[in-house]
Amino acid sequence: MRIIKLVFAILIASISVVSGQGIGSPGTIKDDGRFAASTKQVNQFFRRFNAEESVDGTVRLYPGDPNYHNVQLRQGFIQILFDNQTSSISKELKDDFIKTVLSPVYPQYINFHQEGWIAEVEAEFTFKGKRESTTLILKLQPERMGYEWVIDAVIFPPFKNLFNKPVGEEKDFLHPLSHELDFMNLRKAFQDSNLPEAFTETSFKPDYLTLFLYEMKQNNIRFETVKDVKFHFFQIDGWYFEVNQFNRPGFNTGWLISNLVKLNIGDKETILKYIYDQE
Amino acid sequence: MKNKMILFLGLFLATSVSVMAQSDNISPARKQAIDSLALEKVKDLSKYISIIGSKETQFSEANRVMDRAEELFAPGAEMGVSSINSSDIAYYAVRRYFERLMALNYDRVNISWYDIQYISDLERQPDGRYVGVITIYQRFEGTSIETGMNYKDTTKKDITIYVEKKQTQIAGRTIEFWDVMLGDVRVTETSA
Repeated sequence: MRIIKLVFAILIASISVVSGQGIGSPGTIKDDGRFAASTKQVNQFFRRFNAEESVDGTVRLYPGDPNYHNVQLRQGFIQILFDNQTSSISKELKDDFIKTVLSPVYPQYINFHQEGWIAEVEAEFTFKGKRESTTLILKLQPERMGYEWVIDAVIFPPFKNLFNKPVGEEKDFLHPLSHELDFMNLRKAFQDSNLPEAFTETSFKPDYLTLFLYEMKQNNIRFETVKDVKFHFFQIDGWYFEVNQFNRPGFNTGWLISNLVKLNIGDKETILKYIYDQE
Repeated sequence: MKNKMILFLGLFLATSVSVMAQSDNISPARKQAIDSLALEKVKDLSKYISIIGSKETQFSEANRVMDRAEELFAPGAEMGVSSINSSDIAYYAVRRYFERLMALNYDRVNISWYDIQYISDLERQPDGRYVGVITIYQRFEGTSIETGMNYKDTTKKDITIYVEKKQTQIAGRTIEFWDVMLGDVRVTETSA
């Protein structure tokens, strides 16, 4: 396995010799193979993972091409799609994952247009004069003639403790015969109480995204900048992996797998809850 | 030579449209032709950036080139710039970005490009236009004679391209062709 990885890395590193269509020729700088080896776009992550491009990335492989989804090509690509410098993914786990993905009976691929992958964007907004680090969860959805990224959820710290629904004896309530009094006791819920959420149904869950958009429309929240982006993949049966961008010297750079988890029953829900709630 | 190449690409894209008249899907062959056209525009942009950034370029000439460069972009396109020291993205209108480049306080500026580029697939957006991204790498070197300061950086430029089917009248005939415009550009300083 290690030899395959090495051979593949050398092969990709030697691409600079092949690629001769420099942008600004003459005076073009020859890449020493680092940029060629880098997984430069998320698009390239998909293509490499599925073996849908040539080793040097210059040829897009389509169905019908003998190398399209080629197992050896995929094996080489997937080996270099891991962050091999900082992540602590064990060799055994990686090998297990690669074996699953390359299974001759049931090979698995990742699909840009299918559900099962989401983006997590760390951005900064100004709220009441203070910069707040905010997490946006985005997903891809079909819309009219094409696709669009849409905001699925927001994790905005100032909203975090806005709703603290009391429980047990602490929780106030509207007694069960309130209707006979035309709910006149709503005054107590809305005027006298600091915790009006106490009067909501058991399953009440505040919709933070609506709240966030409302504050934005009131000009109370202003977008500042994007700080970081990562992607979560659940498209491979029984596995979860996270893709981050690594901007560092060397050949193991760009969009790479930084976290890999073999899922047991209930794990997917736990991870999703963690991503969406950041708890 | 370059004009002939663009003419050839234009003709290829225009004539091949009639074959695909029933569908707006982009075949691999057409994708390749669109990629070449988009790459030509990116090459033009690279050339313009080098001219605008050069200290030997006269002010009036730099302004003329900025106009040409701006024409490559769709309206409202922005440059989003971040550095190794700050992951914050600073946003500049395209013209403002060029003006900042021109105003850099170096006596000698050298901008060059790596011989590698990456072109994404084209994805269709809700309005029917296609969108893609071309990634290129640029090396910047600026020297100040007075202070002896020498600044170097390498940036990755992820350039949005919009691909749209348009129509034109030639000798009374309606010809459809695919046009490419540049969009937002993400500029990231690399550790290379």
